Amino acid sequence: MVTYTRLVDDDRVFKALADPTRRHLLDRLFERDGRTLTELESELEMTRFGVMKHLRLLEEAGLVVARRQGREKLHFRNPVPIRLIHDRWIDKFTEHRVAALVDLKSELEESA
Amino acid sequence: MTTATAQTTQVYQIFIKATPEQIWEAITTPEFTARYFHGARIQVTADHYQSNGPNGETWGDEPVFEFDAPRRLVHQWRSLYDPDLVAEEPSRVTWEIADQDDGTCLLTVTHDRLEGALKTAARVAGPGWMGVLSSLKTLLETGEPLT
Repeated sequence: MVTYTRLVDDDRVFKALADPTRRHLLDRLFERDGRTLTELESELEMTRFGVMKHLRLLEEAGLVVARRQGREKLHFRNPVPIRLIHDRWIDKFTEHRVAALVDLKSELEESA
Repeated sequence: MTTATAQTTQVYQIFIKATPEQIWEAITTPEFTARYFHGARIQVTADHYQSNGPNGETWGDEPVFEFDAPRRLVHQWRSLYDPDLVAEEPSRVTWEIADQDDGTCLLTVTHDRLEGALKTAARVAGPGWMGVLSSLKTLLETGEPLT
């Protein structure tokens, strides 16, 4: 099991998501993907070092992928780990009912 | 809740417990792709990418830019399976397989050059590629596609 731990280990994903700053970084990438550290840093009241540390944890959890493009290092959101957690507990039959409730919630809350 | 605009470069990464050769075979041979890629029968050779639907209809008929088995495959993408997307400009898909020396591989799929294919970008984003990759992982690791 040891060698396979990294794959099946959702702990890193949950730990990475447990922090509001890291969720904020993912929100920023969700709005627009492929950003540099400098761009991400400019939207946070935090040192460059702090943002780097959070990005590294997101990368280790597989939630962010850094790719070099020319002279820049761009950060992309990798949605797959969250999808795998979704698939673990929500199958395609349950999904329809869940989606219906989520839609209902958004509709009610938007019109409120 | 913010709504994401269609991203013109999309990156998907997944660990799969399989050899690079098994993953390569799974992404380049129609018998495999039919089981996890929306039923598409995809045949990839060094210079051509052919995708056919279950009834033989053409879903993809594209040039291959790089073919380095079992590590790296780069091919053109057009969404011929959807009349709404056919007219859009071609984009590019890159598959990278990195052996992790622990019985697993890190598969990275990058779909980019989508600037002229924003509807395709929106369609393949999220559940599109993720569904394909999570089903590919399940197929390779359990022998059964995702139900």
